[in-house]
Amino acid sequence: MSRLLERQASLLAYLTGPAAIFGGRRGPADAHLAGIDRERLHLEASFSHAKRMEKICGVFAKTFELLGPGSRRVVRDFATACPPTDIGRLHNARQFHDFLRRRWRRQPPRRRYLPDVLACEFALAEARSRAEDGVAPPTALGGKRAGRIRRKPEIILLRCRHDIRSVFEGTSSRVPRRAIHLAIAAADADAPEVSELTSPIFKLLTALDTPRRRTELGAGAELDAVLDALVARRLVEACR
Amino acid sequence: MATTLRQQTNPAASPLVGIGYRWQIDAWTRANLEYFDVLEITVDHCIYGGARQRAAIEDLAGRVKLTAHGVGLSIGTDVPLDLAYLDRVAEVVDRLRAPTYSEHLAFTRVPGRDLGNLLPLPRTEAVAKALIAKVRTVQARVPVPFLLENIANVFEWPDSALSEAEFLGLICRETGAGILLDVENLYVNAHNHGVDPHAFLDALPAGSVREIHVAGGIEWRAAGLKAPFRADSHSHPAPRGALDLLDRTLARQTPTAIVLERDDRLEATDEILSDVARIRARLAKTRTPARHVAVA
Repeated sequence: MSRLLERQASLLAYLTGPAAIFGGRRGPADAHLAGIDRERLHLEASFSHAKRMEKICGVFAKTFELLGPGSRRVVRDFATACPPTDIGRLHNARQFHDFLRRRWRRQPPRRRYLPDVLACEFALAEARSRAEDGVAPPTALGGKRAGRIRRKPEIILLRCRHDIRSVFEGTSSRVPRRAIHLAIAAADADAPEVSELTSPIFKLLTALDTPRRRTELGAGAELDAVLDALVARRLVEACR
Repeated sequence: MATTLRQQTNPAASPLVGIGYRWQIDAWTRANLEYFDVLEITVDHCIYGGARQRAAIEDLAGRVKLTAHGVGLSIGTDVPLDLAYLDRVAEVVDRLRAPTYSEHLAFTRVPGRDLGNLLPLPRTEAVAKALIAKVRTVQARVPVPFLLENIANVFEWPDSALSEAEFLGLICRETGAGILLDVENLYVNAHNHGVDPHAFLDALPAGSVREIHVAGGIEWRAAGLKAPFRADSHSHPAPRGALDLLDRTLARQTPTAIVLERDDRLEATDEILSDVARIRARLAKTRTPARHVAVA
């Protein structure tokens, strides 16, 4: 590693760490950073951190609202544990999502439905990202694969342990512990749609993560009707 | 508000004036295309952006002149350049029919960490030498003139022996690269670091500035700061001081494009059009267009 790269690496390690971001009495101990104005480094770090958290808070608005004042500790611990490795909005959101899930496995949050809220907000962000990406339509796969169906790639499935609809709709402070199964899609990146599914339909759509022949799923007029309905609701598509 | 439509001038005689294209205001930009001679495209949006955004940008290629500006090169990181990325840049430049490709004289990342902000380099002859080699690589890989942009830096490396103008000038002189002069960054550095902006501009060789950026930022006050800090946030109208530096630049330089950068408070589109009109007004003082169409 060249000396310049060593200095650059030391700088970024410091700027992405809690001492620089949140300030402290001591400046960088690294000799590579000797002579650089400590207050200016704090300013640089806080600017960068604010930009990063703006992206993350934009995805997890409801989660942060529910964390309340406790979010400050969460953000500090996140910044310490997960320095930025990419500037992408979804990438940083995923880092935060994964960090909170690990944290809550060790110590569940007071509001036990928070992990479901977190997961739903991340799924909404993923759906928007897929809509912006303009997921490609199914390609013609030829005669051998004729008759296959699959879940549309832009549909994200989510199983929640709590019925969190009231959290997002603001209709009630009660959040019943009742499993719900959701399909999240964003035909338009600005307006994702969230549909509640029955458990059997959720399982069926999970099985259709990869293209399957109809015959692999079973037989019967009832199943055909269900599959046709899923196609009509644009949750499933035929692969020609 | 007095607004000015696109000038019906000989482009060779007068710089094109426009804005940095932003996907969030795509519809508004298309509805107001007559106010812009040029749109600056961020090449990384064409490489990493969604399909809809890419299609929207490429649709503009035949409707208005486009320039190509990058944010993802991190030319200053002391590792070999990402040649695959440069090849994708070259494809984008070709598709957009852009006459130039510009990037920042800075670094944003090291392996394993990406700050997402532009950071200064130690301005030494050794670092300049390394950058000269890299600029030549870019020039070999992307077949349009390459421009380097000055940044607004929050801090300084203590061992910077060269002034920013000397550093930028040395690299451009040795490689033939042009300069994308950001007058707001110069204005901000003058405020935050005591840089003499006139001395900076006077030190740049005549003809070296090929494009100009104009923008407006905010003043940041915080405990611990000895004085308010000006931030290049691209969020507010361009300050008069930055436009005065534009005047001084135009007295010695003949850029082909002047681009207003705006990345925040994009809903304030009146401010954007007003800034474009202010740039044109400053330009009118220093140039005599062949024909000028204006509406009140």
